[in-house]
Amino acid sequence: MKPLSEQTHYEILELTPEASAEQVERAYRVARSTYAPDSLATYSVYEERDLTVIQERIELAYKVLSDDGQRRAYDEKLNAGPRVELALSFASDDEQSLEESPEIRGFEESVEDGLYDGARLRRLRMARGIELDRLSSATKISISYLNALEDERFDVLPATVYVRGFLTAYARAVGLDADRVVPAYMERVAKIRPNKPARPLLRRPR
Amino acid sequence: MKRAVRSASTEATPNSSDGPRPRLIAVGGGKGGVGKTFLAANLAITLARAGYRVIAIDTDVEGPNLHTLVGVKNPARTLADFIAGRETNLLRLIVATPTENLGLIAATQGNLAGAAPEAQRRAELLAALRRLPCDFVIVDCGAGAHAATLDYFLVSDDGLIVVHPEPTSVENAYTFVRAAFYRRMQAALQKHDVRALVREAMDQRNARGIKTPLDLLREVEQMDPEEGQRFVETMRRFRPRVVVNEVATAEDVKLGFSISSVCRRFFGIDADYIGYLNRDAAVREAVKQRRSLLDIAPDGDAAVYLRRIARKLAEGVPLPSEEAAS
Repeated sequence: MKPLSEQTHYEILELTPEASAEQVERAYRVARSTYAPDSLATYSVYEERDLTVIQERIELAYKVLSDDGQRRAYDEKLNAGPRVELALSFASDDEQSLEESPEIRGFEESVEDGLYDGARLRRLRMARGIELDRLSSATKISISYLNALEDERFDVLPATVYVRGFLTAYARAVGLDADRVVPAYMERVAKIRPNKPARPLLRRPR
Repeated sequence: MKRAVRSASTEATPNSSDGPRPRLIAVGGGKGGVGKTFLAANLAITLARAGYRVIAIDTDVEGPNLHTLVGVKNPARTLADFIAGRETNLLRLIVATPTENLGLIAATQGNLAGAAPEAQRRAELLAALRRLPCDFVIVDCGAGAHAATLDYFLVSDDGLIVVHPEPTSVENAYTFVRAAFYRRMQAALQKHDVRALVREAMDQRNARGIKTPLDLLREVEQMDPEEGQRFVETMRRFRPRVVVNEVATAEDVKLGFSISSVCRRFFGIDADYIGYLNRDAAVREAVKQRRSLLDIAPDGDAAVYLRRIARKLAEGVPLPSEEAAS
Protein backbone atom coordinates (compact mmCIF):
# COMPACT_ATOMS: atom_id res chain seq x y z
CA MET A 1 0.00 0.00 0.00
CA LYS A 2 1.24 3.46 -0.88
CA PRO A 3 1.89 6.10 1.72
CA LEU A 4 -1.18 8.13 2.56
CA SER A 5 0.11 11.22 0.78
CA GLU A 6 0.26 9.38 -2.54
CA GLN A 7 -3.16 7.75 -2.32
CA THR A 8 -6.05 8.91 -4.45
CA HIS A 9 -9.36 9.93 -2.93
CA TYR A 10 -10.74 6.58 -4.01
CA GLU A 11 -7.95 4.73 -2.30
CA ILE A 12 -8.44 6.74 0.86
CA LEU A 13 -12.07 5.63 1.03
CA GLU A 14 -11.18 2.09 -0.12
CA LEU A 15 -13.30 2.47 -3.23
CA THR A 16 -12.82 1.84 -6.90
CA PRO A 17 -13.26 4.75 -9.35
CA GLU A 18 -16.54 3.18 -10.51
CA ALA A 19 -18.16 3.56 -7.08
CA SER A 20 -21.71 4.90 -7.06
CA ALA A 21 -22.74 7.93 -5.05
CA GLU A 22 -24.34 5.62 -2.50
CA GLN A 23 -21.18 3.57 -2.17
CA VAL A 24 -19.20 6.76 -1.61
CA GLU A 25 -21.63 7.67 1.18
CA ARG A 26 -21.34 4.29 2.85
CA ALA A 27 -17.58 4.08 2.53
CA TYR A 28 -17.29 7.54 4.00
CA ARG A 29 -19.43 6.58 6.98
CA VAL A 30 -17.36 3.49 7.64
CA ALA A 31 -14.05 5.31 7.20
CA ARG A 32 -15.14 8.19 9.40
CA SER A 33 -16.14 5.96 12.26
CA THR A 34 -13.10 3.70 11.84
CA TYR A 35 -10.64 6.58 12.16
CA ALA A 36 -12.63 8.67 14.63
CA PRO A 37 -10.65 9.78 17.72
CA ASP A 38 -12.49 7.38 20.02
CA SER A 39 -12.56 4.47 17.61
CA LEU A 40 -12.06 1.03 19.09
CA ALA A 41 -10.50 -0.25 15.88
CA THR A 42 -7.57 2.15 15.90
CA TYR A 43 -6.90 1.79 19.59
CA SER A 44 -3.27 0.90 20.28
CA VAL A 45 -2.03 1.22 16.69
CA TYR A 46 -2.43 4.84 15.65
CA GLU A 47 -1.08 7.92 17.35
CA GLU A 48 -3.51 10.78 17.58
CA ARG A 49 -1.63 12.92 15.07
CA ASP A 50 -1.63 10.09 12.53
CA LEU A 51 -5.37 9.80 12.95
CA THR A 52 -5.81 13.51 12.41
CA VAL A 53 -3.99 13.25 9.09
CA ILE A 54 -6.12 10.31 8.00
CA GLN A 55 -9.32 12.04 9.06
CA GLU A 56 -8.39 15.12 7.05
CA ARG A 57 -7.75 13.00 3.99
CA ILE A 58 -11.06 11.17 4.48
CA GLU A 59 -12.97 14.45 4.74
CA LEU A 60 -11.24 15.86 1.67
CA ALA A 61 -11.84 12.66 -0.31
CA TYR A 62 -15.50 12.74 0.62
CA LYS A 63 -15.85 16.43 -0.18
CA VAL A 64 -14.55 15.85 -3.70
CA LEU A 65 -16.18 12.49 -4.44
CA SER A 66 -19.61 13.39 -3.10
CA ASP A 67 -19.86 16.41 -5.38
CA ASP A 68 -20.62 15.55 -9.00
CA GLY A 69 -18.80 18.50 -10.50
CA GLN A 70 -15.71 18.18 -8.30
CA ARG A 71 -15.62 14.43 -8.81
CA ARG A 72 -15.74 14.76 -12.61
CA ALA A 73 -12.92 17.27 -12.60
CA TYR A 74 -10.92 15.03 -10.26
CA ASP A 75 -11.52 11.97 -12.44
CA GLU A 76 -10.30 13.87 -15.50
CA LYS A 77 -7.17 14.88 -13.69
CA LEU A 78 -6.61 11.28 -12.56
CA ASN A 79 -7.13 9.89 -16.04
CA ALA A 80 -4.79 12.48 -17.56
CA GLY A 81 -1.96 11.54 -15.24
CA PRO A 82 0.10 8.38 -15.38
CA ARG A 83 -2.02 5.29 -14.79
CA VAL A 84 -2.08 4.79 -11.04
CA GLU A 85 -1.90 1.35 -9.64
CA LEU A 86 -4.67 0.66 -7.16
CA ALA A 87 -3.31 1.41 -3.74
CA LEU A 88 -4.94 -1.61 -2.25
CA SER A 89 -2.73 -3.92 -4.17
CA PHE A 90 -2.82 -6.42 -1.36
CA ALA A 91 -6.56 -6.39 -1.56
CA SER A 92 -6.83 -6.37 -5.29
CA ASP A 93 -7.64 -10.03 -5.58
CA ASP A 94 -10.27 -9.69 -2.91
CA GLU A 95 -13.57 -9.46 -4.69
CA GLN A 96 -15.23 -8.36 -1.49
CA SER A 97 -13.54 -5.00 -1.35
CA LEU A 98 -15.28 -2.29 0.53
CA GLU A 99 -16.95 -0.72 -2.45
CA GLU A 100 -19.75 -3.24 -2.30
CA SER A 101 -22.20 -2.24 0.42
CA PRO A 102 -19.64 -1.99 3.18
CA GLU A 103 -22.04 -2.81 5.93
CA ILE A 104 -23.58 -5.88 4.49
CA ARG A 105 -21.03 -7.56 2.25
CA GLY A 106 -20.82 -11.19 3.10
CA PHE A 107 -23.31 -11.03 5.93
CA GLU A 108 -26.45 -10.94 3.90
CA GLU A 109 -28.68 -13.83 4.73
CA SER A 110 -30.18 -15.81 1.96
CA VAL A 111 -33.51 -14.15 1.26
CA GLU A 112 -34.76 -17.06 -0.79
CA ASP A 113 -36.82 -18.74 1.88
CA GLY A 114 -39.11 -15.76 2.36
CA LEU A 115 -39.22 -16.17 6.12
CA TYR A 116 -39.17 -12.81 7.82
CA ASP A 117 -39.56 -13.19 11.54
CA GLY A 118 -38.53 -10.69 14.17
CA ALA A 119 -35.16 -12.30 14.84
CA ARG A 120 -34.38 -12.22 11.13
CA LEU A 121 -35.27 -8.55 10.89
CA ARG A 122 -32.97 -7.82 13.79
CA ARG A 123 -30.13 -9.78 12.21
CA LEU A 124 -30.57 -7.98 8.91
CA ARG A 125 -30.63 -4.61 10.65
CA MET A 126 -27.48 -5.46 12.61
CA ALA A 127 -25.72 -6.70 9.49
CA ARG A 128 -26.41 -3.34 7.89
CA GLY A 129 -24.92 -1.56 10.86
CA ILE A 130 -28.11 0.27 11.77
CA GLU A 131 -28.71 0.98 15.45
CA LEU A 132 -32.23 1.10 16.82
CA ASP A 133 -32.03 4.80 17.66
CA ARG A 134 -31.05 5.65 14.09
CA LEU A 135 -33.85 3.48 12.79
CA SER A 136 -36.26 5.09 15.21
CA SER A 137 -35.47 8.59 14.03
CA ALA A 138 -35.61 7.51 10.38
CA THR A 139 -39.00 5.81 10.74
CA LYS A 140 -40.53 7.88 13.56
CA ILE A 141 -41.39 4.62 15.30
CA SER A 142 -40.57 4.43 18.98
CA ILE A 143 -37.70 2.20 20.04
CA SER A 144 -40.06 0.17 22.22
CA TYR A 145 -42.26 -0.65 19.21
CA LEU A 146 -39.19 -1.49 17.13
CA ASN A 147 -38.07 -3.80 19.91
CA ALA A 148 -41.51 -5.37 20.05
CA LEU A 149 -41.40 -5.98 16.28
CA GLU A 150 -38.03 -7.70 16.54
CA ASP A 151 -38.93 -9.64 19.65
CA GLU A 152 -42.35 -10.52 18.23
CA ARG A 153 -44.14 -9.31 21.32
CA PHE A 154 -47.38 -8.98 19.43
CA ASP A 155 -49.35 -8.17 22.57
CA VAL A 156 -47.66 -4.81 22.96
CA LEU A 157 -47.94 -3.87 19.30
CA PRO A 158 -50.87 -1.67 18.25
CA ALA A 159 -53.61 -2.60 15.80
CA THR A 160 -52.74 -4.62 12.74
CA VAL A 161 -53.03 -1.70 10.38
CA TYR A 162 -50.34 0.15 12.33
CA VAL A 163 -48.09 -2.88 12.48
CA ARG A 164 -48.30 -3.06 8.72
CA GLY A 165 -47.26 0.58 8.49
CA PHE A 166 -44.40 0.05 10.96
CA LEU A 167 -43.12 -2.88 8.96
CA THR A 168 -43.21 -1.01 5.68
CA ALA A 169 -41.23 1.83 7.21
CA TYR A 170 -38.83 -0.59 8.91
CA ALA A 171 -38.18 -2.51 5.69
CA ARG A 172 -37.57 0.63 3.65
CA ALA A 173 -35.22 2.14 6.21
CA VAL A 174 -33.19 -1.04 6.51
CA GLY A 175 -33.13 -1.48 2.74
CA LEU A 176 -35.33 -4.56 2.49
CA ASP A 177 -38.07 -5.34 0.01
CA ALA A 178 -41.24 -4.28 1.84
CA ASP A 179 -43.40 -6.30 -0.56
CA ARG A 180 -41.76 -9.44 0.75
CA VAL A 181 -41.18 -8.51 4.36
CA VAL A 182 -44.64 -7.20 5.18
CA PRO A 183 -46.81 -10.15 4.01
CA ALA A 184 -44.41 -12.71 5.49
CA TYR A 185 -44.32 -11.01 8.87
CA MET A 186 -48.04 -10.23 8.91
CA GLU A 187 -48.77 -13.88 8.39
CA ARG A 188 -46.99 -14.56 11.67
CA VAL A 189 -48.93 -11.81 13.40
CA ALA A 190 -52.23 -13.17 12.07
CA LYS A 191 -51.45 -16.65 13.37
CA ILE A 192 -50.77 -15.53 16.89
CA ARG A 193 -53.03 -12.53 17.11
CA PRO A 194 -55.88 -12.79 14.61
CA ASN A 195 -57.33 -9.45 13.56
CA LYS A 196 -56.59 -7.10 16.36
CA PRO A 197 -58.99 -4.29 15.47
CA ALA A 198 -58.03 -0.67 15.17
CA ARG A 199 -60.32 0.13 18.08
CA PRO A 200 -60.56 -2.37 20.87
CA LEU A 201 -64.32 -2.77 20.68
CA LEU A 202 -64.93 -6.22 19.39
CA ARG A 203 -64.06 -9.20 21.49
CA ARG A 204 -62.07 -11.93 19.90
CA PRO A 205 -64.49 -14.76 19.05
CA ARG A 206 -64.04 -17.74 21.28
CA MET B 1 -21.03 -44.52 14.47
CA LYS B 2 -19.59 -42.17 17.03
CA ARG B 3 -16.25 -43.67 16.46
CA ALA B 4 -16.31 -43.18 12.73
CA VAL B 5 -13.42 -40.76 12.72
CA ARG B 6 -11.30 -42.77 15.02
CA SER B 7 -11.78 -46.14 13.46
CA ALA B 8 -11.17 -44.70 10.03
CA SER B 9 -8.07 -43.03 11.32
CA THR B 10 -6.51 -45.97 13.10
CA GLU B 11 -6.68 -47.93 9.90
CA ALA B 12 -4.80 -45.29 7.98
CA THR B 13 -1.08 -44.93 8.30
CA PRO B 14 0.24 -41.65 9.54
CA ASN B 15 2.53 -41.30 6.57
CA SER B 16 -0.08 -41.75 3.92
CA SER B 17 0.52 -38.63 1.90
CA ASP B 18 -1.94 -39.62 -0.78
CA GLY B 19 -5.39 -38.20 -1.00
CA PRO B 20 -6.62 -34.74 -0.16
CA ARG B 21 -5.19 -32.97 2.83
CA PRO B 22 -7.48 -31.63 5.51
CA ARG B 23 -8.13 -27.93 5.76
CA LEU B 24 -6.51 -26.54 8.87
CA ILE B 25 -8.39 -23.86 10.71
CA ALA B 26 -6.71 -22.21 13.66
CA VAL B 27 -8.68 -20.22 16.19
CA GLY B 28 -6.51 -17.67 17.96
CA GLY B 29 -6.38 -14.00 18.67
CA GLY B 30 -4.21 -13.10 21.58
CA LYS B 31 -6.56 -12.29 24.43
CA GLY B 32 -7.82 -14.92 26.82
CA GLY B 33 -11.53 -15.25 27.44
CA VAL B 34 -12.73 -13.93 24.08
CA GLY B 35 -14.38 -17.20 23.16
CA LYS B 36 -11.71 -18.95 21.12
CA THR B 37 -12.41 -22.36 22.59
CA PHE B 38 -16.16 -21.89 22.35
CA LEU B 39 -15.86 -20.94 18.69
CA ALA B 40 -13.43 -23.79 17.95
CA ALA B 41 -15.67 -26.39 19.60
CA ASN B 42 -18.88 -25.18 18.03
CA LEU B 43 -17.37 -24.71 14.57
CA ALA B 44 -16.06 -28.26 14.79
CA ILE B 45 -19.49 -29.57 15.79
CA THR B 46 -21.24 -27.51 13.10
CA LEU B 47 -18.94 -28.79 10.37
CA ALA B 48 -19.19 -32.37 11.63
CA ARG B 49 -22.98 -32.20 11.64
CA ALA B 50 -22.91 -30.86 8.12
CA GLY B 51 -21.28 -34.14 7.19
CA TYR B 52 -17.59 -33.28 7.20
CA ARG B 53 -15.06 -35.44 8.98
CA VAL B 54 -13.56 -33.17 11.60
CA ILE B 55 -10.79 -33.47 14.16
CA ALA B 56 -10.56 -30.79 16.82
CA ILE B 57 -7.24 -30.36 18.54
CA ASP B 58 -6.54 -28.45 21.71
CA THR B 59 -3.08 -26.89 21.71
CA ASP B 60 -3.77 -24.71 24.69
CA VAL B 61 -1.55 -26.71 26.99
CA GLU B 62 -1.74 -24.15 29.76
CA GLY B 63 -5.50 -24.08 30.00
CA PRO B 64 -7.06 -26.93 28.09
CA ASN B 65 -10.85 -26.73 27.81
CA LEU B 66 -11.75 -27.89 24.36
CA HIS B 67 -12.57 -31.44 25.48
CA THR B 68 -15.21 -30.09 27.86
CA LEU B 69 -16.94 -28.08 25.17
CA VAL B 70 -17.06 -30.94 22.70
CA GLY B 71 -18.54 -33.17 25.38
CA VAL B 72 -15.58 -35.29 26.48
CA LYS B 73 -15.07 -35.40 30.21
CA ASN B 74 -11.78 -37.11 30.82
CA PRO B 75 -9.88 -37.74 27.62
CA ALA B 76 -7.98 -41.01 28.02
CA ARG B 77 -5.18 -39.91 25.76
CA THR B 78 -3.85 -36.42 25.24
CA LEU B 79 -1.32 -34.41 23.31
CA ALA B 80 0.96 -34.73 26.32
CA ASP B 81 1.70 -38.29 25.22
CA PHE B 82 2.89 -37.01 21.88
CA ILE B 83 4.88 -34.15 23.36
CA ALA B 84 6.59 -36.44 25.86
CA GLY B 85 7.38 -38.87 23.06
CA ARG B 86 5.33 -41.69 24.59
CA GLU B 87 3.24 -41.81 21.45
CA THR B 88 4.53 -40.98 18.00
CA ASN B 89 1.37 -41.70 16.09
CA LEU B 90 -1.03 -38.80 16.38
CA LEU B 91 -3.88 -40.97 15.18
CA ARG B 92 -3.79 -42.99 18.37
CA LEU B 93 -4.49 -39.85 20.37
CA ILE B 94 -7.82 -39.20 18.73
CA VAL B 95 -10.71 -39.83 21.08
CA ALA B 96 -14.33 -40.08 20.06
CA THR B 97 -16.81 -37.35 20.94
CA PRO B 98 -20.59 -37.54 21.26
CA THR B 99 -20.82 -35.88 17.85
CA GLU B 100 -20.69 -38.18 14.90
CA ASN B 101 -17.75 -37.43 12.55
CA LEU B 102 -15.97 -35.41 15.21
CA GLY B 103 -12.79 -36.67 16.82
CA LEU B 104 -10.77 -34.88 19.48
CA ILE B 105 -7.12 -34.61 20.31
CA ALA B 106 -7.19 -33.20 23.80
CA ALA B 107 -4.46 -31.10 25.35
CA THR B 108 -2.37 -32.27 28.20
CA GLN B 109 -4.12 -32.67 31.50
CA GLY B 110 -2.66 -32.87 34.92
CA ASN B 111 0.91 -32.33 33.82
CA LEU B 112 1.68 -28.69 34.27
CA ALA B 113 5.43 -28.98 34.05
CA GLY B 114 7.06 -28.52 30.69
CA ALA B 115 3.83 -28.91 28.83
CA ALA B 116 4.71 -26.85 25.77
CA PRO B 117 6.43 -28.90 23.09
CA GLU B 118 9.94 -28.19 21.93
CA ALA B 119 10.36 -26.69 18.48
CA GLN B 120 11.34 -30.00 16.90
CA ARG B 121 8.40 -31.84 18.39
CA ARG B 122 6.14 -28.99 17.36
CA ALA B 123 7.30 -29.22 13.76
CA GLU B 124 6.50 -32.93 13.78
CA LEU B 125 3.11 -32.22 15.25
CA LEU B 126 2.35 -29.59 12.63
CA ALA B 127 3.33 -31.94 9.85
CA ALA B 128 1.25 -34.73 11.36
CA LEU B 129 -1.82 -32.48 11.52
CA ARG B 130 -1.64 -32.05 7.77
CA ARG B 131 -1.83 -35.81 7.32
CA LEU B 132 -4.83 -36.44 9.53
CA PRO B 133 -7.47 -38.38 7.62
CA CYS B 134 -10.32 -35.89 7.72
CA ASP B 135 -11.74 -32.84 5.96
CA PHE B 136 -11.11 -30.25 8.65
CA VAL B 137 -8.69 -29.93 11.52
CA ILE B 138 -9.81 -27.26 13.95
CA VAL B 139 -6.93 -26.04 16.07
CA ASP B 140 -7.78 -24.27 19.31
CA CYS B 141 -4.81 -22.00 20.03
CA GLY B 142 -4.10 -20.74 23.47
CA ALA B 143 -4.03 -17.10 24.47
CA GLY B 144 -0.98 -14.94 23.98
CA ALA B 145 1.47 -14.72 21.11
CA HIS B 146 4.04 -17.36 22.06
CA ALA B 147 6.09 -18.99 19.35
CA ALA B 148 4.11 -22.23 19.64
CA THR B 149 0.75 -20.48 19.36
CA LEU B 150 1.94 -18.47 16.38
CA ASP B 151 3.20 -21.59 14.62
CA TYR B 152 -0.14 -23.37 14.91
CA PHE B 153 -1.76 -20.25 13.57
CA LEU B 154 0.68 -19.78 10.72
CA VAL B 155 0.63 -23.34 9.47
CA SER B 156 -3.15 -23.21 9.06
CA ASP B 157 -5.10 -22.54 5.90
CA ASP B 158 -7.40 -20.21 7.77
CA GLY B 159 -6.35 -18.36 10.89
CA LEU B 160 -9.28 -16.89 12.76
CA ILE B 161 -8.65 -13.98 15.07
CA VAL B 162 -11.35 -13.73 17.69
CA VAL B 163 -11.96 -10.24 19.00
CA HIS B 164 -14.26 -8.85 21.67
CA PRO B 165 -15.60 -5.36 21.12
CA GLU B 166 -13.38 -3.88 23.81
CA PRO B 167 -10.02 -2.06 23.73
CA THR B 168 -7.97 -4.73 25.51
CA SER B 169 -9.05 -7.41 23.10
CA VAL B 170 -8.53 -5.25 20.01
CA GLU B 171 -5.09 -4.30 21.27
CA ASN B 172 -4.10 -7.93 21.83
CA ALA B 173 -5.46 -8.89 18.44
CA TYR B 174 -3.19 -6.38 16.73
CA THR B 175 -0.25 -7.55 18.81
CA PHE B 176 -1.04 -11.07 17.71
CA VAL B 177 -1.34 -10.11 14.02
CA ARG B 178 1.92 -8.24 14.18
CA ALA B 179 3.75 -11.08 15.93
CA ALA B 180 2.35 -13.70 13.56
CA PHE B 181 3.25 -11.60 10.58
CA TYR B 182 6.86 -11.08 11.64
CA ARG B 183 7.27 -14.73 12.48
CA ARG B 184 6.05 -15.75 9.08
CA MET B 185 8.32 -13.20 7.46
CA GLN B 186 11.32 -14.58 9.32
CA ALA B 187 10.58 -17.99 7.94
CA ALA B 188 9.98 -16.77 4.39
CA LEU B 189 12.95 -14.50 3.90
CA GLN B 190 16.27 -16.01 3.05
CA LYS B 191 19.08 -13.50 3.30
CA HIS B 192 20.78 -13.17 6.60
CA ASP B 193 20.94 -9.37 6.73
CA VAL B 194 17.28 -8.99 5.75
CA ARG B 195 16.19 -11.43 8.42
CA ALA B 196 18.24 -9.50 10.91
CA LEU B 197 16.36 -6.39 9.84
CA VAL B 198 13.04 -8.12 10.44
CA ARG B 199 14.22 -9.17 13.88
CA GLU B 200 15.16 -5.60 14.62
CA ALA B 201 11.77 -4.34 13.46
CA MET B 202 10.01 -6.72 15.84
CA ASP B 203 11.07 -4.41 18.62
CA GLN B 204 8.51 -1.65 18.42
CA ARG B 205 11.09 0.87 19.61
CA ASN B 206 13.74 0.01 17.05
CA ALA B 207 16.31 2.63 16.13
CA ARG B 208 15.27 2.75 12.48
CA GLY B 209 11.79 3.91 13.39
CA ILE B 210 10.11 0.99 11.65
CA LYS B 211 6.61 0.95 13.04
CA THR B 212 4.63 -1.15 10.64
CA PRO B 213 5.14 -3.99 8.18
CA LEU B 214 4.76 -1.37 5.47
CA ASP B 215 7.69 0.62 6.86
CA LEU B 216 9.66 -2.60 7.02
CA LEU B 217 8.80 -3.46 3.44
CA ARG B 218 10.27 -0.17 2.24
CA GLU B 219 13.50 -0.87 4.13
CA VAL B 220 13.70 -4.41 2.80
CA GLU B 221 13.09 -3.26 -0.76
CA GLN B 222 15.94 -0.81 -0.44
CA MET B 223 18.25 -3.39 1.00
CA ASP B 224 17.44 -6.19 -1.41
CA PRO B 225 14.79 -5.96 -4.15
CA GLU B 226 14.58 -9.73 -4.51
CA GLU B 227 13.78 -10.17 -0.84
CA GLY B 228 11.38 -7.26 -1.19
CA GLN B 229 9.50 -9.30 -3.76
CA ARG B 230 9.42 -12.26 -1.41
CA PHE B 231 8.19 -9.98 1.33
CA VAL B 232 5.28 -8.78 -0.80
CA GLU B 233 4.42 -12.35 -1.78
CA THR B 234 4.42 -13.49 1.84
CA MET B 235 2.39 -10.47 2.85
CA ARG B 236 -0.18 -11.27 0.21
CA ARG B 237 -0.53 -14.82 1.39
CA PHE B 238 -0.86 -13.92 5.04
CA ARG B 239 -4.59 -13.52 5.39
CA PRO B 240 -5.94 -13.86 8.88
CA ARG B 241 -9.70 -13.63 9.22
CA VAL B 242 -11.51 -11.63 11.84
CA VAL B 243 -14.39 -12.83 14.00
CA VAL B 244 -16.04 -10.39 16.39
CA ASN B 245 -17.53 -12.24 19.32
CA GLU B 246 -20.27 -11.06 21.67
CA VAL B 247 -21.58 -8.23 19.53
CA ALA B 248 -24.44 -6.44 21.24
CA THR B 249 -25.02 -3.52 18.89
CA ALA B 250 -24.80 -2.72 15.20
CA GLU B 251 -21.75 -0.64 16.12
CA ASP B 252 -20.05 -3.80 17.41
CA VAL B 253 -20.87 -5.52 14.12
CA LYS B 254 -19.09 -2.75 12.23
CA LEU B 255 -15.96 -3.13 14.34
CA GLY B 256 -14.90 -6.05 12.16
CA PHE B 257 -14.89 -3.89 9.04
CA SER B 258 -12.94 -1.24 10.85
CA ILE B 259 -10.35 -3.76 12.05
CA SER B 260 -10.06 -5.00 8.47
CA SER B 261 -9.49 -1.46 7.28
CA VAL B 262 -6.86 -0.75 9.93
CA CYS B 263 -5.07 -4.03 9.16
CA ARG B 264 -4.89 -3.03 5.52
CA ARG B 265 -3.95 0.60 6.05
CA PHE B 266 -1.61 0.25 9.01
CA PHE B 267 -0.13 -3.21 8.55
CA GLY B 268 -0.70 -3.75 4.82
CA ILE B 269 -2.34 -7.05 5.77
CA ASP B 270 -5.56 -8.30 4.31
CA ALA B 271 -7.69 -9.52 7.16
CA ASP B 272 -11.12 -10.47 5.93
CA TYR B 273 -14.02 -10.03 8.26
CA ILE B 274 -15.57 -13.47 8.22
CA GLY B 275 -18.36 -13.05 10.73
CA TYR B 276 -19.57 -12.33 14.21
CA LEU B 277 -21.41 -13.93 17.08
CA ASN B 278 -23.81 -12.03 19.26
CA ARG B 279 -23.92 -11.82 23.00
CA ASP B 280 -26.46 -14.50 23.65
CA ALA B 281 -27.81 -16.22 26.72
CA ALA B 282 -27.76 -19.46 24.72
CA VAL B 283 -23.97 -19.26 24.49
CA ARG B 284 -23.60 -19.05 28.26
CA GLU B 285 -26.09 -21.84 28.66
CA ALA B 286 -24.25 -24.04 26.18
CA VAL B 287 -20.97 -23.58 28.05
CA LYS B 288 -22.65 -24.19 31.39
CA GLN B 289 -24.31 -27.37 30.23
CA ARG B 290 -21.23 -28.43 28.26
CA ARG B 291 -23.38 -28.88 25.21
CA SER B 292 -23.27 -27.53 21.71
CA LEU B 293 -24.90 -24.23 20.87
CA LEU B 294 -26.73 -26.07 18.11
CA ASP B 295 -28.45 -28.19 20.77
CA ILE B 296 -29.30 -25.37 23.13
CA ALA B 297 -30.77 -22.92 20.62
CA PRO B 298 -30.59 -24.30 17.09
CA ASP B 299 -32.54 -21.42 15.57
CA GLY B 300 -31.22 -18.64 17.77
CA ASP B 301 -29.18 -15.77 16.44
CA ALA B 302 -25.89 -17.20 17.72
CA ALA B 303 -26.47 -20.49 15.92
CA VAL B 304 -27.37 -18.62 12.72
CA TYR B 305 -24.15 -16.60 12.96
CA LEU B 306 -22.11 -19.68 13.78
CA ARG B 307 -23.44 -21.56 10.76
CA ARG B 308 -22.68 -18.56 8.60
CA ILE B 309 -19.01 -18.63 9.62
CA ALA B 310 -18.85 -22.39 9.17
CA ARG B 311 -20.36 -22.08 5.69
CA LYS B 312 -17.73 -19.57 4.68
CA LEU B 313 -14.93 -21.76 5.96
CA ALA B 314 -16.33 -24.76 4.12
CA GLU B 315 -16.60 -22.94 0.81
CA GLY B 316 -15.08 -25.11 -1.87
CA VAL B 317 -14.55 -28.09 0.42
CA PRO B 318 -16.57 -31.03 -0.91
CA LEU B 319 -18.44 -33.20 1.56
CA PRO B 320 -17.20 -36.78 1.76
CA SER B 321 -20.60 -37.89 0.43
CA GLU B 322 -20.23 -35.61 -2.58
CA GLU B 323 -16.75 -36.91 -3.19
CA ALA B 324 -17.98 -40.48 -3.08
CA ALA B 325 -20.71 -39.65 -5.56
CA SER B 326 -18.44 -38.00 -8.08
